[in-house]
This record gives sequence, structure tokens and C-alpha cells, in this order.
Amino acid sequence: MANTKEIQNRIKSIQDTMKITRAMYMMSSMKLRKARQKLADTEPYFYGLQEQISEILSHFPDMEHLYFDNRIDDRAETVKKKGFIVITGDKGMAGAYNHNVIKTAQTLANEAEDRRLYLVGETGRQYFLSRKEPVDTAFHFSAHNPSMHRARVMTEYIVDLYQREELDEVYVVYTRMINSMKEEVEVQQLLPLKTHEFIKKELIENAQKGEGNYNREALDRVDDWFLIYPSPRQVLEKLVYNYVTGFLYGALVESSASEENARMMAMQSATDNAEAMLKSLSMEYNRVRQAAITQEITEVIGGAKALRKKKKKQVR
Amino acid sequence: MRTFSLKIIACDRVFYDGECTMLVFPGFDGEMAVMAGHEAMTSTIEIGEIRYQLPDGSWQYAVVSDGLLKVDRSKVNLLVYSAEKPEEIDAFRAEAAAARAREQLQQKQSLQEYRISQASLARAMARLRGAGKNVPR
Repeated sequence: MANTKEIQNRIKSIQDTMKITRAMYMMSSMKLRKARQKLADTEPYFYGLQEQISEILSHFPDMEHLYFDNRIDDRAETVKKKGFIVITGDKGMAGAYNHNVIKTAQTLANEAEDRRLYLVGETGRQYFLSRKEPVDTAFHFSAHNPSMHRARVMTEYIVDLYQREELDEVYVVYTRMINSMKEEVEVQQLLPLKTHEFIKKELIENAQKGEGNYNREALDRVDDWFLIYPSPRQVLEKLVYNYVTGFLYGALVESSASEENARMMAMQSATDNAEAMLKSLSMEYNRVRQAAITQEITEVIGGAKALRKKKKKQVR
Repeated sequence: MRTFSLKIIACDRVFYDGECTMLVFPGFDGEMAVMAGHEAMTSTIEIGEIRYQLPDGSWQYAVVSDGLLKVDRSKVNLLVYSAEKPEEIDAFRAEAAAARAREQLQQKQSLQEYRISQASLARAMARLRGAGKNVPR
């Protein structure tokens, strides 16, 4: 059993750590409130955009275009150059948040033959750079305080690479907040866009399985005629920027809310654990102290007894 | 007059969701109007000012940055990055943004940066115009 001094030192250090985790809890709960608000404001746009894009695309004529990656050159390529936009946090201490994103991204990257990583957030950058992954270092953004402007700059960068055909496929790996207790890493393909053909097949497959967001009405209307003004090509050009920007912005907001949520929960459980440890340590401390006192008393009594015996002997 | 339901969604809020009789928006080659019974259509919206007429006959104005529009069976969906009422526009901020964008355009930039500055200049000018200020040349 450790002595009282040692236990006291431990108690002190746990108390100090608890102060830090408690302060971080307060801070992240404040930031979470802000991030949540932003998320709630963005959600109609984020989901509306995804819905509208897939509806528009389902009415698009069959055409060969760079953005669909179905031109003759594209079909001839055997190895697709894949780009992954990975959104992690800037800081650690957020439970499994960063770890989950990194793990998913690493698995995806390992599967891809020709890959390039575009990292948002410091934690992911450190991880992938130290593993000598092909990271694009010119793509340097923070995950903190997402803004539309940042999403726009990111989009320009990525779409430009795509147009120069340095990338054939672009994925984004981010964390979606399902509710305050649950968050999930999601992978979404941004480019190339889904073709009319593909969406139709998907809808039919879903219909056969009777699951997914299969929608009878949507299936019936896939072949409906739709005016695309001024021309499919021009709309497509605009749509790509809109879609990528809107999606990246949404993903950034979702991720930052998830990060704060994860950090808050991690700090909450750290504080709880510290409290439990303090409780058991103070119990142990008391026990040790009691044992020491008991021992001392026993020793005193034992000594006194011995002395008395000695005196008696002398008297005799 | 017949009405149709109009939904304008900006990235930070649902700007308008309700009935309207006519919508005028800046399209690819000039302004375009949509009324009830319009054929199904998809189009793009440029940076500029939109206006829509409510069933009571009053016109509402808003400054939008670019986005997409979908007309479908008496339902019109507008998805734009931002939408603001003229009275919400911060003219000072827009002016500062315009000045900043002009300055950036003066400098030598990559094509990406050039496009971003150009778009911000267009947005700032649209805001200023919407706020009823003279656009400084």
C-alpha cells in the first residue's frame, strides 16, 4: 500500500487535470451551441441541395461530359486518380472523433491505387504527413469556424484540378451529426456526377429491393421531359460549382458541430472518471492514514507495556 | 391571379416559403420571369436582384448570389448561397468588400484567385445596388 504522501500527490494531480477537463467542457459546450445553431440554419440548404441536384441530374439528357467522367478517354482509363477531401479537427481531445475519420480515410486511401489527399484540419494533416501519404500541401484549410468563403476557395481548387484532369474522382470524408449522442463518418462522392442512366438504375435497384430512398413517383418521372435553360452544358457548369461548394460547406458545418459534440462528451466523461478516481483515492487515503495511526498506537502501547514489565522486574 | 408556391433557400436560412404570383430573376442572358403553370424547367441564377409578387400584389425584393432554380408542377425551388432583403444589407461591409476585391483584381493572381475576386466584386456590387446606393466606379 502506498503511503499517504504519494496518495496525496496523486489526488492533487487528478484535481488539477479535472480543472482542465471541466474548463474544456464548458468551452466546448459553448462552442457546440453556436455550431448547432449554424447546423440547424444550414440543414435545409444542405439537404435541399442534395435533393435538388439529384432531381435535376435525373432529368439530364444522356451526354458525354467531363463532369460525368463517361467520355471515350475516361472509359479507356484503367486507373482512376482519386482525390479524398478529409475533414478532421484542428485539435485532439475529442474522443474518437478524429480517429474515426482518419481510420475511414486511411482504409479508402489504401484501396485506391492512385490517390491524393486534401486535408482540412491539423490532426489529419499531421497523421497523414507523418505516414508519408501523398498529401497536397498547397490545400491548407482550418476546420475551425466554417465559412462560405472557405468552401468557395476549396471548390475552386478542387474543381480546377478536376478540369485539368489531375483528378478523376473526388470524395469527401466527413462526420455527420445524427443526434447529440450519435455521429457517423460519411463518405460522399462529389465528382464525377451521377448520370441519368446511373440514377435510373439506382432507383430501379432500390425498387426491387424495396428499400433506400426509393420513391415511386421519382421513378415514374425519370424520363419526363425537362427544359434546361439555357443549355445542359451551361447549367452543368454552374451546377458543379454550386453542388461542390454547397456540399463542402455543409460538410464543414456538420463536422465542426460533431467535433465540438465529441469533445464535450469526451471531456464530460473525463471529468466523471476523475471524480470516480478521486472518490476511490480519498477512500484509500483515509484507510492508509487510519492504518498508520493504528500502527502507531499499537507501537506506543507495546512500548509502554514493555517498559512497565521492565519496571515490575526491577521492583521485584 | 393564379399562384404557385415559391421556396427560396439560402445557405444560412429558408429565406421565403410561401405563395407567389410571379418571380423575376436574373438568368444567364438577362432577366426571366416565371408565373404559375410554367413548364418544368431547370436554370441558373446569376448574382443580382430577384423580385417576386405576393398574392396581395406587393413586390418583394432580394439580393441573391448565384444558384440554381427548379420549376416543377406549380412549385418553384430556388437554391442560392445567400439571399438578403435590401434593408438587411450592410452597405459599409459591401463597400469594403468591393474595395478589397478591386484591389485584389489589380494584383497578379492565379486564375482561381481571379475568379474568386471577380465573384466577390460582383456580389458586393449587387448588394450595393440592392441597398440603393450608387455603385462607385
